[in-house]
Amino acid sequence: MTELDPQTWLAAHGDYLFRVARRQLHSDELAEDAVQETLLAALAARARYTGDASPRTWLTGILKHKIVDLIRRQLREVELPRDQDGEEAVDLLFKQDGHWAEPLRPWGNPHTEAELSQLRRVLDECADRLKPVMAQVFSLREVAGLETEEICKELDITPTNCWVLLHRARLFMRQCLELNGFARAGAA
Amino acid sequence: MKWMPTCRETTALASRALDTRLSFADRMALRLHLAICDNCARFNRQLQEMRRLFREEAADDTTPGLADDARQRIATTLQKTLGA
Repeated sequence: MTELDPQTWLAAHGDYLFRVARRQLHSDELAEDAVQETLLAALAARARYTGDASPRTWLTGILKHKIVDLIRRQLREVELPRDQDGEEAVDLLFKQDGHWAEPLRPWGNPHTEAELSQLRRVLDECADRLKPVMAQVFSLREVAGLETEEICKELDITPTNCWVLLHRARLFMRQCLELNGFARAGAA
Repeated sequence: MKWMPTCRETTALASRALDTRLSFADRMALRLHLAICDNCARFNRQLQEMRRLFREEAADDTTPGLADDARQRIATTLQKTLGA
């Protein structure tokens, strides 16, 4: 029965669940809440755990719902970005006529584990720097892999609003990555 | 949309193409612009690279795990719920 002991889950999968949650919630505190709520939900539902999936897979499935719950709850408290939000920052990336203001620099190909780990850190730091709502919509899509229809439905925003947020998030992310070490001279 | 979108419009199309199926007209406009614009073609490749990086490192174990005090707090909450 040790497989169904919540303290064992915490010891064996706590760090893993926290890392998954942290990357999508962009906050230590919220990620800790997500882990706790996941383990409490798992505790309440453990009679229904059939053992078909590994405990980690089962717990990660519960965690995904908890992450969306937390984001939804948080979005209720903050003001949704108005359509103009971020538009000025986007204006800086383009000229009046719609052409790029600066040519895009190519990204290098990381080879060593140290280089890769450095890039991962930059990736997460850039995502943390997005505005909260944008960061969360971006993470639900790019990290968690939710379909935009699901995101819109879960967060009660229109598809157009969702696409605008994702477009801006991707423009800012790309810019941030280029400025923080992704760009390499002479790379493809 | 005009027959040829600007770079700015093209980035919106390239982004939306990652999330949904574009209309035939939008797909053609995107393809046309990408064929002649190095910057936007690069942007499009980088968006896909960014997605690949995010998805493959979904559980990178080099980042910090649960802090000790948080772990303790959660353990206590679980214990209380178990005992209740």
